[in-house]
Amino acid sequence: MKDLENELRKALERREPPDGFAERVLAQLEPAPTPKPGWREALLSLVRIPRLRWAAVGVFACVLVTAGVVHYRRVEQERAAGEAAKAQVMQALRIASKKLNVTWRKVQEADHRPPRT
Amino acid sequence: MKNLIKAETFIGALLVLVMGASAPAFGQNPRLKINNLEKLSSKAAEVIDVTLDGSLLKLASKFISPEEGEDEAEVKELIKDLKGIYVKSFEFDKEGEYSEADVESIRTQLSAPAWSRIVGVRSKDDKENAEVYLMTEGEAKNILGLAIITAEPKELTVVNIVGPIDLEKLGALEGKMGIPRMNLEKEKASQKPAASHDEKK
Repeated sequence: MKDLENELRKALERREPPDGFAERVLAQLEPAPTPKPGWREALLSLVRIPRLRWAAVGVFACVLVTAGVVHYRRVEQERAAGEAAKAQVMQALRIASKKLNVTWRKVQEADHRPPRT
Repeated sequence: MKNLIKAETFIGALLVLVMGASAPAFGQNPRLKINNLEKLSSKAAEVIDVTLDGSLLKLASKFISPEEGEDEAEVKELIKDLKGIYVKSFEFDKEGEYSEADVESIRTQLSAPAWSRIVGVRSKDDKENAEVYLMTEGEAKNILGLAIITAEPKELTVVNIVGPIDLEKLGALEGKMGIPRMNLEKEKASQKPAASHDEKK
């Protein structure tokens, strides 16, 4: 019985770990999760790839050109509509002025005509 | 009983207020209905149809540039407060293509109290009629609208201008914009009493 106790005591006595033990254990642990990159970082990481960078530039240029063409067409359409409306205004006022003056002329001709006997 | 009388008085006053506020529904709209004349388009040799509401007038005004000349500056000034310009003009190859009823449909609208005829000339021999109407409001006689009807054997023209039009400036456009000068002796429409001449030759 005493032998067993001695053996147990010997087996359970505190011993210093061998050198490098703590480092070996830590090395086997899973690394801490890295934080997810934000959308800006994700976008920038794509652009850092040369082909994708050029593709992005190309897409941006196409969008700019398309927006420019759409804007130009809208301006041209408005200009055409405005010029047409202006022509109509001029024509309408021409007619109104002419008819007004013709009416006044008739009144004055009647005023100046001698009365019937 | 007294409460009932008070309530009736209040309701009566409210009705008068509502009717006054809805005066445009009772003939004070300076815009005439002239679309019924469109049926004459098929018979006319030449048709001029102009419909310009407030938004189109504003758009046109942006493109009327005083830098282009005095004419355009005057036109821009003339139309700046207008709400609409409507013109229907028909020229026919022969007489009798439109009826008196066509013209009467316009005159009926102009018989509303808000309109007053300032000039009327009728020649039975020439079968020519020319009338100018104004819609005004208030003591100051602010012009709300203008209507001109000229009816000749082979031509019918109706002009309706909605808004404060200056008759002097409108008449002064003669000699400009391709309008022939007629050497008229001008008087202000507001100073001239309603002139009406029936000529019987």
